[in-house]
Amino acid sequence: MSPNVSAHPHSVAIAAEAEPERGMLSWVTTVDHKRIGILYMLTSLVFFVVGGIEALFIRLQLAVPNSTFVGPDTYNMLFTMHGTTMIFLVAMPMLFGLANYVLPLQIGARDMAFPRLNAFSFWLVPFGGVLLHFSYFSGGAPSMGWFAYAPLSELPYSSQAGVDYWALSLLVLGIGSVATGINLIVTVLTQRAPNMTLRRLPLFSWMMFVNSFILILALPVLNAGLAMLLIDRQLGAGFFLPSAGGSAIMWQHIFWAFGHPEVYIVALPAFGILSEVIPVFSRKPIFGYEFVAGSTVAIAFLSLLVWAHHMFTLGLGHTVELFFVASSLLIAIPTGVKVLNWSATLYGGRIKLDTPMLFCIAALVQFLLAGLTGVSHAVAALDWQTKNSYYLVAHFHFVFVGLIVFAILGAVHYWFPKTTGRMMSEKLGKWSFWLMTIGFNLTFIIQHFLGLAGMPRRIYTYPDLPGWGWMNMVSTVGAFFMGAASLVFVWNLWISRRKGRIAGDNPWHAWTLEWATSSPPPVENFNFLPPIRSRRPLWDFANPDRPDPVVGTKWKMETSSPEKNHASVVAFIFSETGFFAVLILAYLYYTAKPGSGPSGHDLDLLKTGLFSVCLFASSFTIWRAEVSQHHGRNHAMIAWLALTIVLGGIFIVGQGLEYWGLFESGVRVNSNLFSTAFFTLTGFHGLHVCAGLIALLVLLGLACAGDFKNGHAPGLKAIGLYWHFVDVVWILVFSVVYLLPHLR
Amino acid sequence: MTTAQFILSGWTWNPVTVGLVALALVFYPIVFRDRRRFGWFLAAMVILLLTLLSPLNTLADGYLFSAHMTQHIVLLLVVPGMLMLSLPQQLSLARGPRFLAIPFVGWLAGVGAMWFWHEPSLCNAAVASRPIHALQTISLLVLGSLFWRQILAPRDNERLSPPAAVLYLFSACVTCSILGIIITFSPVTVCSIYTVPPTDALGLLPTIRDRWAISPERDQQIGGLLMWVPMCLIYLAAIFAQIARWFAHARQLVPAKTS
Repeated sequence: MSPNVSAHPHSVAIAAEAEPERGMLSWVTTVDHKRIGILYMLTSLVFFVVGGIEALFIRLQLAVPNSTFVGPDTYNMLFTMHGTTMIFLVAMPMLFGLANYVLPLQIGARDMAFPRLNAFSFWLVPFGGVLLHFSYFSGGAPSMGWFAYAPLSELPYSSQAGVDYWALSLLVLGIGSVATGINLIVTVLTQRAPNMTLRRLPLFSWMMFVNSFILILALPVLNAGLAMLLIDRQLGAGFFLPSAGGSAIMWQHIFWAFGHPEVYIVALPAFGILSEVIPVFSRKPIFGYEFVAGSTVAIAFLSLLVWAHHMFTLGLGHTVELFFVASSLLIAIPTGVKVLNWSATLYGGRIKLDTPMLFCIAALVQFLLAGLTGVSHAVAALDWQTKNSYYLVAHFHFVFVGLIVFAILGAVHYWFPKTTGRMMSEKLGKWSFWLMTIGFNLTFIIQHFLGLAGMPRRIYTYPDLPGWGWMNMVSTVGAFFMGAASLVFVWNLWISRRKGRIAGDNPWHAWTLEWATSSPPPVENFNFLPPIRSRRPLWDFANPDRPDPVVGTKWKMETSSPEKNHASVVAFIFSETGFFAVLILAYLYYTAKPGSGPSGHDLDLLKTGLFSVCLFASSFTIWRAEVSQHHGRNHAMIAWLALTIVLGGIFIVGQGLEYWGLFESGVRVNSNLFSTAFFTLTGFHGLHVCAGLIALLVLLGLACAGDFKNGHAPGLKAIGLYWHFVDVVWILVFSVVYLLPHLR
Repeated sequence: MTTAQFILSGWTWNPVTVGLVALALVFYPIVFRDRRRFGWFLAAMVILLLTLLSPLNTLADGYLFSAHMTQHIVLLLVVPGMLMLSLPQQLSLARGPRFLAIPFVGWLAGVGAMWFWHEPSLCNAAVASRPIHALQTISLLVLGSLFWRQILAPRDNERLSPPAAVLYLFSACVTCSILGIIITFSPVTVCSIYTVPPTDALGLLPTIRDRWAISPERDQQIGGLLMWVPMCLIYLAAIFAQIARWFAHARQLVPAKTS
């Protein structure tokens, strides 16, 4: 390297202490983002095999009409577990793994912003997976479909514990995903190398950044729904149980308010992969970076808005459908922009058809088809005819396999040399590519026709109608081609890891920073960084006579970065808002019509009002604590902190007394919808207050130990912010639960 | 009364409104020497007059909640946005009270106006009482201007930076969507005055209920959906403008400092 390169500011100090760890135990205890990334990807691979075997059993059962190969009950379990596994235990961990490995390298960082939180998020994945699969030994896996439609998922209709395991495991995975989302956002905001401004981010990193915002907003919605489902099942409540006055449609709203963004949560990283691989193997910069990046924001925004198109067949009424037809069609515009940009990048390029590129081109073509059938589903009238048929199965497998799995396979072939230092075998790669492409299209193209011929989905077998038998057989044969492709792929991983050609730093002559370090990178990632002036620093470095145009800086926030604890708490508050929004909306909905039994009028407005004043006052005291800390008055700060804890404690005791009073008068969680919604909403808020109190006690301990004396207390500010948020939520809860009944 | 008759005769004549708009049109060129953006001002005034005088206003005046919602959105988002765009480029807004320049205040003004006026009793009162209705109209224009000032202030340094603006607009959209969702799916009536209009001077009610097939329930749904979906598209358009602003300066040929 030339002496011209700039040293990373942190690298000198860290390089001295960084020693690569060895042994199995070091993989369990690691907090290195690269190792965690690899762990994510290996976990995902294991579950890919599990979910794949489940898929093959499904296809075997459906291969011939009137089959009794596995039987209806087993079939339902297989099809539920296949869907759940592939979404939550394969696609998401795989993309998190890639993001974990690649994103910090692409932005020239040393690690993620919160390495320990990162390890925590990862370990939730295998534990969540084990929890889900343990249901097989507890009387049967869940068999209500991965969407868990109520009331089928409720106790009277699914009495085995499978649904509970399902909900708990998704809750565990959801918490891990939110943590990952927060970590990625804060990493991009605070850990970028000097001069890696936000507008110079490589597209994969940019899309993971935008994606993390949907992640932290959408997952809490599901978490809230899962908590409500568990309360129904475990405590005998009836949120989603029509026979108890609840609403089964409410579950669908909650599930799809999460489920639609979820499609983009796994699709946006795939778009990011295409945006990295296609330019490198076309030997051209991406066509219209700004449009690819900007349309990502539009997709993220729209994805949160249009979930009701998953519910056209539910009978929401013409008025609602009309609006969602229009808004769903809109999403074709930003995705179309992306397809055009990738095609224009290919156009006129010197295309090199290595395995990563092959997978990405196939993903592009298949995604186009998925998009077209997707647009057809946005039209409600057509949707009524095809929604519950194999046409829809074909559509979403074109998205999830045709786009996402293919993009992931492309990404693995692309970044494998960086991860291991060795190239994957091109010969085996091409074998797996062609087997996969033929198998995939054989399996799923024909399912469009099966659906149009009237074959319904979610059935374990079918009568011998004209054409159905052979079409299903073709589909099954295709699935086994995909199985074979996966075997070749895994063999390729194994053998290339051991005997592959040595890769060198930058085997693909790519331009982003991850290729500027050795393969595999050292623990500290970079010893030197090339100067960053544009979006392709390695191109500029290699071609100093004709560099890319400089991407300038204009706004302060492009170059500066927020304090990371502060940023993470803000992101966490964003995600918590989604969680509480669902609970508050549910409360409003369930208590809108007065029913028999306890209601909001039975609550003691005055007493709770007094306790609430204590909570609101604690917002003031923690602010005073921050001010005292700022001025270096340590004793005053400790006093204010202690007062905050006392005030918060009074509030919790007050809430406990209120609960006790209600219990005394015979009000239980499952008394009626009001009591269920009331205990759920105030209970979760109380939990948050308790969590805040624990955090404050830790702070108090630190303060007494003199940790904040040097004038630097990011933890205090961050916890203070969280505490204010808990208070603001209580203002809303108090108005909705206690004040609203008196206004009506 | 048929639809065609209504469109012809449903116009209201409000001398105060017309007079104020005429005064504003006269004063703009006097107050501002730089008249290059007068077109925006003119457009804002035309839309304002159409909203307040056209048959839409008659419908919003006791017949249709959805018409009221359309008016509400135009007065809160469209007209103030255009007013901000009509201010001369060099004008600084920093002279006013300082707290008005706080982004959260602007956000709260825009979002709060939506929530505040849809509290059931206030929603009814604004239809039933003339003074409250006038107050509502003026407050929407003022609060809307406070909201847009963070995004569309004439001077670039008085606006939010694009990423912050995207978050500002996005969170405003989500917050208003939530209200839209509540109105759409609420099992109770939000603005009960529209269920049974107090007077039907025009004899329009049969046309609305039978010919247009808009029942009170459907009316409320349309109102909620207008707030949920098209209103968010206005925010989305603004977000697009912010993204364009963000990337527009991307190719400045300014040599970056290398440390």
